[in-house]
Amino acid sequence: MRKCLPLFLLTFLALGSTCFAEDMKVGFVYVSPVGDAGYSYAHDQGRLAVEAMDGVTTSFVESVAEGQDSERVIMNMARKGYDAIFATSYGYMDPMLKVAKDFPKVKFLHCSGYKNAENMANYFGRIYQARYLTGMTAGAMTKSNVLGYVAAFPIPEVIRGINAFTLGAQAVNPDVQVRVVWTKTWYDPATEKEAAKSLLDVGCDVIAQHQDSPGPQEAAQERGAYSVGYNTDMAAFAPKSHLTSAIWNWGPFYTEMVQQIKDGTWKSDFYWYGLDKGIVDISPFGEMVPADVQKTVTDKKAEIASGAYQVFTGPIKDQAGVEKVAAGAVMPDADLLGFNWFVQGVVGTLE
Amino acid sequence: MLHLSAVRRQEPLGWGSCLVFFAALALAFSVSGLLLAMQDKPALDALWLLVHSAFGSGYALEDCLIKAIPIFLCSLGVGLTFRLQIWNIGAEGQFALGAVGATWAALTFPTWPWYALLPTMLLCASLTGSLWGVIPALLRLKLRANEIIVTLMLNYVGILILEYLVYGIWKDPGSFGFPMTSEFVPAAVVARIAGTRLNWGLVICLVIGVLMTVFLRSTRLGYELRACGENVRAARYARMPYAKLVVLVMAVSGALAGWAGFLEASATLGRLQPSIMSGYGYTAIVVAWLANLNPLIIAVASFLLAGLRVGMETLQLDLQIPAAFGAIMEGLILLSVLAGGFFSRYRLHLRRAA
Amino acid sequence: MTPEILLALLAATVQAGTPILYATLGEILTEKGGILNLGVEGMMLVGALIGFLTALHTGSPVLAFLAGGAAGACMAAVHGIVCIGFLGNQVVSGLALTIFGTGLAGFFGTPYIGRTAPGFDKFSLPGLGDVPILGTIFFQQDALVYLSYLLPPLLWAFFRYSRWGLAIRAAGESPAATRAAGLNVLAYRWAALLAGGMLVGFGGSYLSLAYTHLWTNGLTSGRGWIAVALVIFAFWRPSRAMVGAYLFGGVMAFQLRLQAMGTALPSSILLMLPYILTIAALALASWRGDRTEAPAALGINMEPSE
Repeated sequence: MRKCLPLFLLTFLALGSTCFAEDMKVGFVYVSPVGDAGYSYAHDQGRLAVEAMDGVTTSFVESVAEGQDSERVIMNMARKGYDAIFATSYGYMDPMLKVAKDFPKVKFLHCSGYKNAENMANYFGRIYQARYLTGMTAGAMTKSNVLGYVAAFPIPEVIRGINAFTLGAQAVNPDVQVRVVWTKTWYDPATEKEAAKSLLDVGCDVIAQHQDSPGPQEAAQERGAYSVGYNTDMAAFAPKSHLTSAIWNWGPFYTEMVQQIKDGTWKSDFYWYGLDKGIVDISPFGEMVPADVQKTVTDKKAEIASGAYQVFTGPIKDQAGVEKVAAGAVMPDADLLGFNWFVQGVVGTLE
Repeated sequence: MLHLSAVRRQEPLGWGSCLVFFAALALAFSVSGLLLAMQDKPALDALWLLVHSAFGSGYALEDCLIKAIPIFLCSLGVGLTFRLQIWNIGAEGQFALGAVGATWAALTFPTWPWYALLPTMLLCASLTGSLWGVIPALLRLKLRANEIIVTLMLNYVGILILEYLVYGIWKDPGSFGFPMTSEFVPAAVVARIAGTRLNWGLVICLVIGVLMTVFLRSTRLGYELRACGENVRAARYARMPYAKLVVLVMAVSGALAGWAGFLEASATLGRLQPSIMSGYGYTAIVVAWLANLNPLIIAVASFLLAGLRVGMETLQLDLQIPAAFGAIMEGLILLSVLAGGFFSRYRLHLRRAA
Repeated sequence: MTPEILLALLAATVQAGTPILYATLGEILTEKGGILNLGVEGMMLVGALIGFLTALHTGSPVLAFLAGGAAGACMAAVHGIVCIGFLGNQVVSGLALTIFGTGLAGFFGTPYIGRTAPGFDKFSLPGLGDVPILGTIFFQQDALVYLSYLLPPLLWAFFRYSRWGLAIRAAGESPAATRAAGLNVLAYRWAALLAGGMLVGFGGSYLSLAYTHLWTNGLTSGRGWIAVALVIFAFWRPSRAMVGAYLFGGVMAFQLRLQAMGTALPSSILLMLPYILTIAALALASWRGDRTEAPAALGINMEPSE
């Protein structure tokens, strides 16, 4: 018995250490409050999917200013032994890179940027595919042929979304025009609503947005116009006007990444998934959208998801009428990532 | 019948003031704790965690020092203007303009060596920062426009100017359209002090702090500024005409905030982007007032309030307390210290009325 | 710009100016009593949040609006305790109140971002709403806008003819003489402060109950500060406050419409317009106006007497 005891203890300890092995810790850094029903909310829904995984616990910090503050937050997480950290705004890119250099064992994932390292990857979603589909819907539903777009900041992802929306609308309705108003804020319901109203005043009858608040949706419903949402399904805010929304679905991507890190098979890369992996989608159509329009859009969605159709396929002209993408050519990802011009049919400045 | 009355003290309270100050802090902390409890957060744990995570490790202390640098510079400037009862709320905008000035130099002369480029950046930051301070000063002098409003409005305008430049002509061609300037060349970056994460801006702070203390204590102009205190009319008897005094303090204040902007852009970020704005200009007001406009105490208060910001991040991470809690504490501390100031200036008498 | 767009702009101007109008009138009331309250921005935010929460939980927009006003008054009371009670510096106390109020609203309000609450919707006033041009601009708004039309004349009459109004003005002009005349200066100052705070709270809750039906941390975006500036621009007169508020509402609405119509001007420059205009208006008013417009004892605490 005496001899067996140490062996027994050892076995017990060995077993115990695997049973009580520390949960993997995954941290998330958000640029805005989680409850904004928008961008950060969508990321947080993804985090909840990760939280539901076995052997993983998550935590998050919200409203983190880009720059020095974010560097400290990310470093804090790394020092506290987090195994993976997701940073969800482009301004976190440089700070995250700095921290990644000092913590080679931790895996860093940065959303919407382009700098990476061996332990730092970039990721984003091809939301522009969903935008294209919402554009098709808007183009089919408009009577005035003028669509309004309330947009936050003139950065590539926003410009890309506007362009995709416009191309989609033009595909079903070649005469449409898209007017853009910049609010210079991600979340300010009052300004966004006023911007939407100003678009409605100049004759738009469908309002789309690259904003995180449902302000523009409210404005559209009050005027009896239609609206297209963003980030999450915004139907609850404007049931009478909401056609559909371009939404994120980060859960599958986040769980895939975390599982890979857990299994040790993760590699740094530039992950840009789209409809094919279900990272982006459009929310259910409102009742006012006729069945034939729904079918056209849904068919197109299947085409894009299967890879049969690429959104930015030429010929594409810019606002001045100059052809930027030749007929039949597909815009390469690098150009998409640095998108800094509007397609023909968009009325608006770029700054 | 008992009657409570207040009489102005003939002599200042001295050490009692410290007691009052700490009592005020305790009150602010208690109310903050109460608010936490209202949101079902563990109040005592949170407050302890706040202090512990801000000051309890070498790393954290470094973080506090780094953050204290811009706060200190802005507060020093703001404190200077408050002495003359000129309410400079514009440190935020002056900070932005300083960063813009320094960035202009960095982008225009990338080939210069660091010993030429960095002082140039500092100079440019001073010029643009003081410009943003002088405009409200002139408007106040010539048109009697209230400087509280003008400086505040210029905050918004200053930030928009920064955004305009960063989204437009200064946008980094290699940044895929994101609003940021190109990274500064190494010659334009204020280096880290070897072995630490601190940058040489700390030395600038020390030098300026000492200079300011000496100036206020030992020079005639400094003495006049200190003597002004609550009595604006005293300024009129100073050697320097009141108008020049106003312009001078606002220019210096703007320049100091501009230096903070320069250091943030150069040492901390290495480029200019909109997220450089962190509300230091507003924290500076709290710091300056808490420190009773005294440069040495401003240094301490800057460190402490930097610590508050650093600690808040841990509170967010560990306890999911919203970031706004930091502002609650800042506001409460200032309010209770203001109220507490009453006991330093007045003595209470309890007596029977006839 | 077609006539339709112009009319729509003017109607939007009235709506955009309304929260600023409430806040400006409230601050005028407070300052007439001699108290400078710079905490308007923070008070508006708290008023907006409390109004929003009340609407969410009770479903009654009217109750919510009143609750927002009460919240504004409570915030003003804090300022009163620090300044009237403890003779704290009024400028710094107001700034502290702004910081505190902003933090308070953000702290309690963060969980409610992204929710929507019942509020006030526009309706056309019978008869008046059909009047061409003026009807479209002024009488197709929501109930709170109609309420705000009544306030300037009411305040004007209050200050001119009522005993309380005159006493408040006296408290703000020459507190020593007022006290010598046997009136309780502090009581009148408190009254002006609390009532003014209530109006500021109304302005805030307008943003979350009528202007939008949403809440967010930065909902006021500097409107509180513009209100403080407008008090000076209005020479502390309620009627001019109306002009100022609509002017600024108009600038905010205009720059967005300019973009919608298609302009080459960069949006950053357009966004500067309200703030630059505020400075210009302030400078003009300060230069042209008599210093005697301001209450003589504004911002100066009364020394406690024996």
